[in-house]
Amino acid sequence: MTVTDPDLVPDEAEQHRHSLSTAAARNLASTTKSTPQMQGISPRWLLRKLPWVATQAGTYRVNRRLTYALGDGRVSFTSTGADIRVIPQELRELPVLRDFPEDDVLVALADRFRQREFQPGDVLVSAGDRAEEVYLVAHGKVNKLGQGKYGDQTVLDTLADGDHFGDEVMYGDEVEWEFTVKALTPVIALVLSWRDVQELNGRAEALRAHVDAYARTSGKPQNKHGEAAIEIASGHEGEPDLPATYVDYELSPREYELEVAQTVLRVHSRVADLYNHPMNQTEQQLRLTIEALRERQEHEMINNRRIGLLHNADLKQRIHTRTGPPTPDDLDELVSRRRKTAFMLAHPRAIAAFGREASKRGLYPGTANVDGTQVVTWRGIPLLPSNKIPISPQGTTSILAMRVGEQDNGVIGLHQPGIPDEVQPSLNARFMGIDEKAIVSYLVSAYFSVAVMVPDALGILEHVEIGRS
Amino acid sequence: MTDPDLETERPRLSLGTAAARNLATTTKSVPQMQGITSRWLLKILPWVEAKGGAFRVNRRLSYEIGDGRLTFTNIGADVRVVPQELTELALLRGYEDVEALSALADRFTQHEYEPGAVIVEEGRPQNAVYLIAHGKVNKIGQGEYGDQTVLGTLADGEHFGGDVLAGPQGEWEFTIKAVTPVIALVLPWETFEQLNGEAGGLRAHIQRMLAAGGGKSNAYGEAEIDIASGHEGEPDLPGTYVDYEVAPRELELSVAQTVLRIHSRVADLYNQPMDQVEQQLRLTIEALRERQEHEMVNNRDFGLLNSADLKQRIHTRTGPPTPDDMDDLLATVWKEPTAFLAHPRTIAAFGRECSKRGIYPSTIDLNGHHVPAWRGVPVLPCNKIPVTRTRTSSIMLLRAGEQNQGVIGLHQTGLPDEYQPGLNVRFMGINEKAIISYLVSAYYSTAILVPDAIGVLEHVELGRED
Repeated sequence: MTVTDPDLVPDEAEQHRHSLSTAAARNLASTTKSTPQMQGISPRWLLRKLPWVATQAGTYRVNRRLTYALGDGRVSFTSTGADIRVIPQELRELPVLRDFPEDDVLVALADRFRQREFQPGDVLVSAGDRAEEVYLVAHGKVNKLGQGKYGDQTVLDTLADGDHFGDEVMYGDEVEWEFTVKALTPVIALVLSWRDVQELNGRAEALRAHVDAYARTSGKPQNKHGEAAIEIASGHEGEPDLPATYVDYELSPREYELEVAQTVLRVHSRVADLYNHPMNQTEQQLRLTIEALRERQEHEMINNRRIGLLHNADLKQRIHTRTGPPTPDDLDELVSRRRKTAFMLAHPRAIAAFGREASKRGLYPGTANVDGTQVVTWRGIPLLPSNKIPISPQGTTSILAMRVGEQDNGVIGLHQPGIPDEVQPSLNARFMGIDEKAIVSYLVSAYFSVAVMVPDALGILEHVEIGRS
Repeated sequence: MTDPDLETERPRLSLGTAAARNLATTTKSVPQMQGITSRWLLKILPWVEAKGGAFRVNRRLSYEIGDGRLTFTNIGADVRVVPQELTELALLRGYEDVEALSALADRFTQHEYEPGAVIVEEGRPQNAVYLIAHGKVNKIGQGEYGDQTVLGTLADGEHFGGDVLAGPQGEWEFTIKAVTPVIALVLPWETFEQLNGEAGGLRAHIQRMLAAGGGKSNAYGEAEIDIASGHEGEPDLPGTYVDYEVAPRELELSVAQTVLRIHSRVADLYNQPMDQVEQQLRLTIEALRERQEHEMVNNRDFGLLNSADLKQRIHTRTGPPTPDDMDDLLATVWKEPTAFLAHPRTIAAFGRECSKRGIYPSTIDLNGHHVPAWRGVPVLPCNKIPVTRTRTSSIMLLRAGEQNQGVIGLHQTGLPDEYQPGLNVRFMGINEKAIISYLVSAYYSTAILVPDAIGVLEHVELGRED
């Protein structure tokens, strides 16, 4: 950066001036002014592309078919230095231990897990060996390999942080591993051996009873999504008894309340009264505040712990990248999990990383015109940028894929238009009063929520590494 | 026997073409000019009226967070940092004592590194300030699974470890590795400590900068708009207002002008079939418009290449413009980009890199022209972007438009004697040699409404050997 002294040039020129300078002329002229600009405004694709469903009284209930909870949750860990320990209550995420009431038994169980570390390529368990351990993956990524039809290896699944396998061991039956598990990255796993469970089972009768009860009840008729089956006969001949059936609903369906993002906007009455030409001061203050509220709204719709999409995706719909960076293969896997994927949402840097992977393979993904903007597509599905998806300090992020619309059982945005003093749909600015310092206050609130109608409407590709190597 | 000489001697039976031309009128082209280009920049920018000759870009108040770039002088192989430029280090911003800065600049020692050399290593104590005088380095961090991941690329004029001026910091959080041969200036903390004995003002300034810290700001450095969200019950809501920059940038219309002279005898007589004055004017205007585009790209005050924010400037990873670099550039202007602008030779170099990877970028239709595109964004040629003697150039990516806070062109229409929008031709008079003079002026400027409206890919090598 070179420093040129701007004062010097006019000074020299001053001596030779014969006419009015532009600097002096500007005192008579009026400057054309831009409205106040703000860097934080983003295209907010999520808000633009979600269909918005109006609620009547601030809540929306998603009624679903009765589902027998079969979800395998993710287990969380605490670490002290290099020592990793599973949080005992989190063990309830193992299907066998779901709803198990006694905390002290869980603590005892958690204490018996031993930490083991594996290098990339190490085999954690191999098919055909006797299964006698429960594995929790604390950190790292492993491949679950099965035998293909003609004897070759086939990747069944990729497991990562918080996933587990081998919990069948808890039933106490003698089984063999049906798959091989191989480490893809350095892996830290917590391992509980069958023998330890046996010892504990001896002491804690409650646990044994719970496991037995689980084994008995897990056999209810259900479809592959865990929904109570609708009995149907087909392909029959003659006069067999036809099944009688009914469709059962969830008894306590999830209700979404509209979340709020709000702030109190203060404008001094002197500013609001006088300085209004050519731009209305209050209007500009309000415009920027609304932009900030809408940005926050998009942030909450992705990150909020209650309603945010990142936290509301079903665990079965969360997949991991095969190698690390977002490859075309990973996106294929992501879109294969649902019908009618409307769009994918990714951080701009994740999109750049995807572009790199595509270029590396000599692929040029198509583009599409979405609302006048050219965006990258993959298999015809637009890949929309959003900077609200977090990037971890290690350079990993997530990519979301979703089906949208109430009719398609997709993801919908919830709002309530028609509220008092509405400025934009579901956003109002209410006059609060003028205080004794002559400051006018407005309460600006945005009401919104987002609901996933059925679990497979939303999928997430996790552990997407965007750093380059 | 035929004698060719004799044959030509034979008397003509009809009128020759040479003689016929004396009666005919020659069809003439208007004067042609090689310097006319497609001037895409002028075509894609929306033109905004600046009625009073000046345009003020109002922005939200932002706290300076950006670290600027430094410049260096060199005598032979000895590189020295320009002392005043040291104020680009965050902790020295606003410090004015040039003597102390000179003393500080003298303490930097020059180090040279070969490609692949590790300059600082993660986990080692952080105890020196590094300025990169020349060359390119990679900032490498640890990935999720313990592998290495490149966090960013630093190049000429950038620096790291500036916090060391406030005292030895903990450990380096990243590894810095040279990509090309690198010349770096290094100031170890011990050396700086000795200097502090001499210049107490410097230390006091650093303490002040540390204490000030700056107000609450968002990711872009703008003063925060306080918002509560996701709350239940009746918590106290934050009161807020949107603060503006107090001294916003004002852009005056710049001018490109010339005096067009024409002899009255030429202007009076030789006007069939083409008006001489009009042709003179047409070519002059073309030249002025070319100059206008040149200034809009290169002018030190408002030219796009110079006004792009430092955070929006990225470097190529290896040298030539690869698809990966273009993707990175797209990630800097990800909000509705309008077009890439690059020198035609840069576009050719980019085409080579694509072909090498077996990629064929699509083309798109822009105002009836087929232009190459990358990820659907047109790549437009612009020969005003300079190519250095070492065959490096830059690629710009911009978002155009006033509504979407992009880049705009400024002009003023309704000028006296206006000939084209924002361009007028004024009759100056006829002098005593019968020469008529016209003053031809074009008024223009550009404004970048928010910094992320333009991104620049720098150090693009065009002629690298493979």
